[in-house]
Amino acid sequence: MSEIELQNLSKSFGDIDAVTDVSLSVRDGELLCLLGPSGCGKSTTMRMISGLETPSSGTVYIGEADVTDQPAYDRDTSMVFQNWALFPYKTVLENVAFGLKMRGMGKQQRRDRASEMLERVHMDGYESHSPTDLSGGQKQRVALARSLAVDPDVLLLDEPLSNLDKRLREEMEIELKDIHEEFQKTFVHVTHNQDEAFTLADRIGIMNEGRLVQVGEPNEVYRDPKNKFVEEFLGDTNFVSGTVSDIDGQYGYLMTEFDSEIRVPVASETQPETSLTVSLRPEFMQIAPITDSSNRASHQTRADGNGGGGVSGTVESTIYRGSSIRHVVDIGGEQLFVEQGVTDQTAIDEGDTVELRWDVDDILVFRPDGTRVRD
Amino acid sequence: MSVDPRTTVLDRLWSPFEGQSGSRRSLLLMSPLILFELLVFVVPFLLLVRISFSEQSQGLPYAEGTFTIASYVQVLQSELLQGIIAYSFKLGIIATLLTVVLAVFYAYATWRASGVQKSALLFSVVLPLLTTLVIKTYVWVPLLAPNGTANSLLLAVSLVQAPLQMVPNTFGVVIGQVYIVFPYAMLAIYSVLTTVEWELVEAARDLGASRTRSFFAVVLPEIMPGITVATVISFAWSVGAYSAPALLGAGSDRPFALEVQEQMLVNFNWPIATALSTVMLVLMFVSILVIYAVLGRFGGDVANAT
Repeated sequence: MSEIELQNLSKSFGDIDAVTDVSLSVRDGELLCLLGPSGCGKSTTMRMISGLETPSSGTVYIGEADVTDQPAYDRDTSMVFQNWALFPYKTVLENVAFGLKMRGMGKQQRRDRASEMLERVHMDGYESHSPTDLSGGQKQRVALARSLAVDPDVLLLDEPLSNLDKRLREEMEIELKDIHEEFQKTFVHVTHNQDEAFTLADRIGIMNEGRLVQVGEPNEVYRDPKNKFVEEFLGDTNFVSGTVSDIDGQYGYLMTEFDSEIRVPVASETQPETSLTVSLRPEFMQIAPITDSSNRASHQTRADGNGGGGVSGTVESTIYRGSSIRHVVDIGGEQLFVEQGVTDQTAIDEGDTVELRWDVDDILVFRPDGTRVRD
Repeated sequence: MSVDPRTTVLDRLWSPFEGQSGSRRSLLLMSPLILFELLVFVVPFLLLVRISFSEQSQGLPYAEGTFTIASYVQVLQSELLQGIIAYSFKLGIIATLLTVVLAVFYAYATWRASGVQKSALLFSVVLPLLTTLVIKTYVWVPLLAPNGTANSLLLAVSLVQAPLQMVPNTFGVVIGQVYIVFPYAMLAIYSVLTTVEWELVEAARDLGASRTRSFFAVVLPEIMPGITVATVISFAWSVGAYSAPALLGAGSDRPFALEVQEQMLVNFNWPIATALSTVMLVLMFVSILVIYAVLGRFGGDVANAT
């Protein structure tokens, strides 16, 4: 059994609180990603699981055992480091066999096991190479083999893919997922890359400023972010601030920065004159050119009968981004961006007048302190 | 199985200079240094060798224009001089072992310390370098004398019943000599240690290596070049020790430097003095080659490879 339980874990370095009151359960055999910007405490949290860092307060359980005061070399965890930390004066095979040697395994046995692990990560044939001669991707594989060789209860990965280029990273993501399925170990993977987290994770834990903000399955945290930080961190979006001018049942009218009202879902306690920020995700908006000349001048909010919302404006710039095109639309001096698939036949050029439309119920609404407004 | 047979300690020491030698421009740049070395080292040394092959003379330091190997025969046959050579090497070996082991500990502690602690540890090493050799050697006399500070402390806590004889004798000489060479050895090791990634030690511990094992398996191979430099500095200096044996030693603490000085300035027997010096120089040269060879073998392969 190798579930991990963190209870009220805190760590400070001098005056700096790196991790504050983190409680988290990682299920047996789960791949959990700790996601957050640099300095959010995700690596420190992982280092406390590995035993390389001692918590200032709180408890770490691995399986049933309280391991808070156990040093790293007594814990059945193994870590893959960001810079891989391969021993430069040992061969690839010696690197992989190192942990087994420390566990007192016989020479032939550990060599066999190390070779087997190298084969698993497709690095057979490199046994007698020096790690310094390997490429980043190869070092990554050797580091992974070295950690897997000791058959740990928990495998910890500290941004191991962040030094690889995009293509190699995506390849390694798939491979990590395969290895996770094959070895059935509990994995904790730290990353600042949302795509990586969404690709790999069974569940994602999002951290900010030393605190664990939200934990959930990838689609859950994406669809239902707990606060504005999560919404902002998980993907590109447009934030529009405004003041509630009128309330009509479940919906309110927000007087926005671009001098037009938009209809937003509000909670029952929302009062008029409250400041709110809404998130208009590019994937929720459709862009269409306006051909009718009578509509040209207005930046009017267009509310139709079926709960849709929209604004119109002028395309300021168009950026080709490979599989999609990003249009930046100027609406009364404020910019919104929206994405269009390249296969979408509607040609939109800079300077065109367009209409942006969305479903009002897709809008996420946040209070000024970042918390979510919902019923 | 070693990583790369070419990666010896020597190679690693030379690697910063590689690619710079061979070009004429670099030779030109080095010419002032080469000229300087020729004038102040090579030429005087050749003169010294020439004197060592001169006949000894009663009235003069040596008999000019003569040629004999008598002084070398005398050096190699005299039991007194052999004893002096042996003493020099014993002092060199003991002082070097003590210095390098202490320096590794001290450098490691300094590496791991931070803030004020680190500054204090570094400052303490550099501070003695600001004092003249004679004073920092002689300061051990009041400390180690029978009625000195160390004995007073030992008597006060009843660790000893009577004062220990620490100076003037060999114990004092070793202490003084270690104290003299320690800063150089420590700084040589520390400079290499600061380039080691702490993450490697963490990786070793994470894989189950205890603190001691992670040091021997990961840190030691990395700092071998520093240890080699520290060993050579300590050894060369301690074999040629002068001030520590002169100030802290008893009459029997007689290394070759004291003997050379006496033959040169008291007995005016330059052929013996120079012959002894030349023999010591050759022995030192061989010793340093042996040190490089031995430490080089351990350099890449200290943790007896899988």
